[in-house]
Amino acid sequence: MSSVTPVRRQLPVSPWLFAAPGLLITGAFILYPFVSTLINAFTDRRTLIPGEFVGLANFRELLNDDMFWVGLRNSTLYVVGVVPALVILPLLLALLVQKNIPGITFFRSAFYTPVVASIVVVGLIWVWLLDERGLVNSLLETIGVGRVGFLSDQWLLLLSAMAVTVWKGLGYYMIIYLAALANVPRELHEAAAVDGAGAVRRFLTVTVPAVRSTMVLVGALSSVAAFKVFSEVYLMAGPSGGPAGEDTTLVMLVQRTGTGLTGRVGYASAISVVVFVVTVALMLLVLRADRRDES
Amino acid sequence: MPVSRRALAAAFAVCVVLPLSACGSGGGDGGTADASGKVEGDITFQTWNLRANFKDYFEGVIADFEKKYPGTDVKWIDQPAEGYADKISADAAGGTLPDVVNVSPDLVAPLAEAGLALDLDKAAGQYKKEYLEGAWASHRIPGTTGTYAFPWYLNTGPLFYNKSLFKEAGLDPDQPPKTYDEVFSAALKMAKETDGKVATLANVPTIEDFGRYGVELMNKEGTAFAFNDAKGVELLTKYKELYDAKALDPQALTATPESSGRKFLTEAVAMNPGSALDLGNFKKQAPNLYKNIGITDQITSTGHVNMYVMGVMVNAQTKRTPAAVAFAHFVTDAERQMSFAKQVAIFPSTAGSLDDPYFTKEDGTDETRVRIAAAKSLKDAVNYTPVLFSEQMKTELRNEVAKALQGKQSPKQALDNAVEACDRLLRQQG
Repeated sequence: MSSVTPVRRQLPVSPWLFAAPGLLITGAFILYPFVSTLINAFTDRRTLIPGEFVGLANFRELLNDDMFWVGLRNSTLYVVGVVPALVILPLLLALLVQKNIPGITFFRSAFYTPVVASIVVVGLIWVWLLDERGLVNSLLETIGVGRVGFLSDQWLLLLSAMAVTVWKGLGYYMIIYLAALANVPRELHEAAAVDGAGAVRRFLTVTVPAVRSTMVLVGALSSVAAFKVFSEVYLMAGPSGGPAGEDTTLVMLVQRTGTGLTGRVGYASAISVVVFVVTVALMLLVLRADRRDES
Repeated sequence: MPVSRRALAAAFAVCVVLPLSACGSGGGDGGTADASGKVEGDITFQTWNLRANFKDYFEGVIADFEKKYPGTDVKWIDQPAEGYADKISADAAGGTLPDVVNVSPDLVAPLAEAGLALDLDKAAGQYKKEYLEGAWASHRIPGTTGTYAFPWYLNTGPLFYNKSLFKEAGLDPDQPPKTYDEVFSAALKMAKETDGKVATLANVPTIEDFGRYGVELMNKEGTAFAFNDAKGVELLTKYKELYDAKALDPQALTATPESSGRKFLTEAVAMNPGSALDLGNFKKQAPNLYKNIGITDQITSTGHVNMYVMGVMVNAQTKRTPAAVAFAHFVTDAERQMSFAKQVAIFPSTAGSLDDPYFTKEDGTDETRVRIAAAKSLKDAVNYTPVLFSEQMKTELRNEVAKALQGKQSPKQALDNAVEACDRLLRQQG
């Protein structure tokens, strides 16, 4: 017995050595910042001042901070506005470019181009397009609609940012759907067609059930990304978060509160913890809904 | 070799906890505040977006310093303008702040409060008389007793206006507005004549606008903000009238200085504050605007224009205090500042330099005219932005002002809210 126990209680070192680089990177860049944020959320730490433990004071302050509620509202609206579009539109696009017709590769590449473009460049181009004197407003003025304040009205600004997110994300999710569609047996479509099902019917009864798990994946990925949106809104609404800060999202609030020489790192960490909790809740919600549908 | 689970767990815990122990700012192993020793050793000097245009100048300054003080070695690093404050805060929090750092007064305030900026009244008080009194005082922090950076170059600028747009709106292009009331009435006329298509101003009022309008920004002790007085409400009420009449650009609520500069460049707005540097930019990027450019004095109700001050601070944690102080002084002394001013449209903060013929003698060009006018106004100019006015406070003020302009609250309510938020942030800053 005594000769067996040490073998069971000890692990070989080689697997750990192989895993060490990954573990170190995960520890340094994911685990440590995560633990550090959790700790900071319960302190009044500032950029240059270590701070002291303040219990739940930061979270109590959040409840009374109007800008936090504005951020939560905007991040939630972003999920509501962007996720359905990013679940459905890329699927339709994938169905379109799935067909083998001459020149289709060009369109596949064209739809994917916004994904590889820098978000800063994309954001600036859209700002120029939607400016009071930009191309879109010039066209609207020409056809008699008049100028529209895409970048000066808080709701239009948020909608414009959502449109950019959807436009930029279409190609990425289209590729995921293309992979899923390749696995849908052609016979199913043929059988449905023989039974007299039209294109819409075949889409609803064959395609959608076949790619349902991919739709859930896209829904989960896009809802997490939408809730954590920063770049598009920051670039289009400016550092102050739109008129009177009304387009501020939660991650923008974290950036604004926690950075700079006078940054309130403790308070910003508390907001980050809320973002984390909501993000996890969103994932669980989507996965749970999927399981319920399956059962 | 097998490893026990316990050993692995311990190693993991060390990996997680060890970096945590590195948290905090600065440390207790700083250098001395005594700058009287021998000037020697390696120091690092950080500038703010100056390498691209002034590489040769700074390399020359460093070579001259190293020649004057054998045994010194200055390593020069330059950071981009974008995110400069974030870079400094990361360095300060990580204990890697360079020995000599280019700063502005609002950057030096939190560093001084954290004990990271050397008090130059104590370490280099003998140099104080070399600088303009107002410039030396610009790096004093309310609530502390010291001065935390050598004043470096100053800047101010005129108000540019588009003569062509003025003419189209029936305004006299040769009689630009000189007072706030004249600016407001010209802006309302411009909006009316162009049916709201051309705005006159592109920015909402900032803290320095309130200062120039004559609003008391803080109480005398520097412990609370006070810009919600009747004068402040009056200014915001006038801006509200401009916004309603489209005399203020509709995108002003989200504008940055860069975006409003672009609006002026594309002739979408008729007036914009700027500096002598902008003339070259207009000539190159907007020749049509340059042909029609009008230049008038900065509008102020106090008799004092606004100035921007750059400073050079010494890291209180430096191990080479004598060399760092000597270099910071060397970069900012009268000779170096004068030679820098001849390379670019900035103004020296050293006493007597602004009386140099370079800043007093006309040669008939627009550039010289702007330079002479600016140098004259700088002699009694004021840095209106309080050194304790942080980025977060600027955002609070901007958002409350925007709500007032949109009519979501009265100007009085907006300024009361802004003052309350800024006071709260001030208390939190300690």
